[in-house]
Amino acid sequence: MRVLLVEDDPTLRAQLRAGLQEAGYAVDEADNGRDGHHLGASEAFDAVILDLGLPVLDGISVLKRWREAGVTLPVLILTARDSWHEKVTGIDAGADDYLAKPFHMEELLARVRALIRRAQGLASPLLQCGALTLDTRSSRVTLNGQLVTLTSHEFRLLSYLMHRPGSVVSRTELTEHLYAQDFDRDSNTIEVFVGRLRRKLPEATIETVRGMGYRLVMPP
Amino acid sequence: MKHGAGRHWTRSLRFRLLAATLAALAVALVLAGLLLSSLFRDHVMRQFSQALTAQLDQITARLEFDAAGQPQIDPQTLSDPRWSRPYSGLYWQVDGEGPVQQRGALRSRSLWDAVLALPTDVLADGVVHVHESTGSDGAALLLVERSVKRDNSADGGGNGAVGTSWRLIVAADLRETVAAVERFNGVLAASLATLFVLLCAAALAQVAIGLAPLRTLQRTLAGVRAGTSPKLDGRFPSEVQPLVDDFNAVLDRNAEVVARARTQAGNLAHAIKTPLAAMSQAAAVALQRPETGTDLAALVEEQVGVARRHVDWHLASARAAAAQGVPGARVPVQPVIHGLLRVLERVHAERGVALRCLPMAPDIAFAGEVQDLQEVLGNLLDNACKWARQEVQVSAASLGAGPGSRLQVVIDDDGPGIAPDRRDGVMARGARLDESVPGSGLGLAIVNELVGLYGGSVRLQAAPTGGLRVEVELPGA
Repeated sequence: MRVLLVEDDPTLRAQLRAGLQEAGYAVDEADNGRDGHHLGASEAFDAVILDLGLPVLDGISVLKRWREAGVTLPVLILTARDSWHEKVTGIDAGADDYLAKPFHMEELLARVRALIRRAQGLASPLLQCGALTLDTRSSRVTLNGQLVTLTSHEFRLLSYLMHRPGSVVSRTELTEHLYAQDFDRDSNTIEVFVGRLRRKLPEATIETVRGMGYRLVMPP
Repeated sequence: MKHGAGRHWTRSLRFRLLAATLAALAVALVLAGLLLSSLFRDHVMRQFSQALTAQLDQITARLEFDAAGQPQIDPQTLSDPRWSRPYSGLYWQVDGEGPVQQRGALRSRSLWDAVLALPTDVLADGVVHVHESTGSDGAALLLVERSVKRDNSADGGGNGAVGTSWRLIVAADLRETVAAVERFNGVLAASLATLFVLLCAAALAQVAIGLAPLRTLQRTLAGVRAGTSPKLDGRFPSEVQPLVDDFNAVLDRNAEVVARARTQAGNLAHAIKTPLAAMSQAAAVALQRPETGTDLAALVEEQVGVARRHVDWHLASARAAAAQGVPGARVPVQPVIHGLLRVLERVHAERGVALRCLPMAPDIAFAGEVQDLQEVLGNLLDNACKWARQEVQVSAASLGAGPGSRLQVVIDDDGPGIAPDRRDGVMARGARLDESVPGSGLGLAIVNELVGLYGGSVRLQAAPTGGLRVEVELPGA
């Protein structure tokens, strides 16, 4: 999962990035509203964490421009001002959730997880595919109740596929969503990770659709 | 009053008052002068023409005809000596009309060799016409004329002309009359000009006296600004006094707000000093004994929480204090509730609680600041969402109508509710019945304080659905 972080305070940005990366997200950053708006409008993200008090272009304006341009990314807004008036303004500008500073990292991660899940129309925090279960809260994958040990890359790949059960996901889409912009993108590495993942999962869980990409096969 | 360079002259109250008064005065006096002058002239002319008509009557009475039917007037029978003195200013003349056109057939001696020229008009028998004309020497003349018809059949002879008409004219010089009118006009103009000057002086005095209290007010205000006086002292005219009283009220309120802000800033500073001191103490200990690192982290976490609660509380109080006043504010309740429900639906999406807003009249309104209503209802609804199992329901109603009416908002949840004996306690600042639900424990206390500032009330009851019912009463509009 790839997350855009738009926050101008360097300390908080570094803390958020560390927290998000530790939780298995690929993180792209912007420290002002204009760059943040540009990234959000041009790159593929699964969620945005948007501070409201930003230089150059404030968060509410960034959000309104995205929504006007038809960008439907789930957006979590952060702000130091936590009056209800601000909350109503933020939500009405198109935000999906709201978090007042200061906050705990676990709270933020829970909100982001829920946002990504809800954006895919999944109600439960437990993602199921046959005997395979992915708990988004604890980042644990179990097969018939047995814990499956995955590297962070393998986990990200599986998590992305399990958020879109039954649909074909292209290699480009996977590359876009699993790595931050500055990462050296090579679609061959995706093939390597798919190969490793297949060895840890039951046979034919991940199907290759020739010329199109991969699909997580839901058991009948 | 100082007049800055950028100030336009029409901005001056004094100028406006004076300009309006002077313009009205000038127009009124000019109109009065014109009216009086024309009335006087009319009157004099009417008198003059009446006197001339009397002379015409005399001439008519003296008119006789000889055997040839020619008119004769014996000058001896006319008493006024001016008839015979040449160019005396009083003349008569008889013109022949009808079949015989004979201008100046018979004339007074005073006309000498001149003939009175008349505009030609048709006269009915016996009617008197009045004309103004110019005499031979260029002087203005007033003429009166009348036509008489001689019945020739009476003497049975002559040239047989039947009904020969004769026009009798009497004229008089207008020189003296015109001079009298001009003299009158001169005196009138002089008197009106004097009156204008006097009235102007009166207007100036009136404006100066009338605006003097404003000058005093400005001096007093300068004193307030300079800090020599805490408020506007002294009595002012009844038109200015309400302004002064209101201004003093604003000054009092300002002083009160400043005092409260100082107290609050002081309280906040002191409140934050305590956790800071605790952290500094712990840090000093940790420096000496590095193995207590986790204890330090826990303490910092805890004390930051304490400091944060203080900051939240003071921020909320500051908002509440700023909200006071603003008379006449009217906030429709329905959009506010709907806006809050949109936020809560997102924030509590994970809990799957259904938020229901019962239909309410769109004209139900709150008399106060929109942010305060959002703060009160937002905190209460948020609380209800945290505790509700499945559903939160909100309704609003207006008790009474117009000013002085009350707004009642009822929020029900189907959560565990609060036992009657514990309800008073939860409204206190920092009180939290369950530490496992996130929150600073300030929500209800902030609500209580805000509602109290508006003179409203918050009541906790049992909801029909088994949870807690919160009933808020606020001033309506």
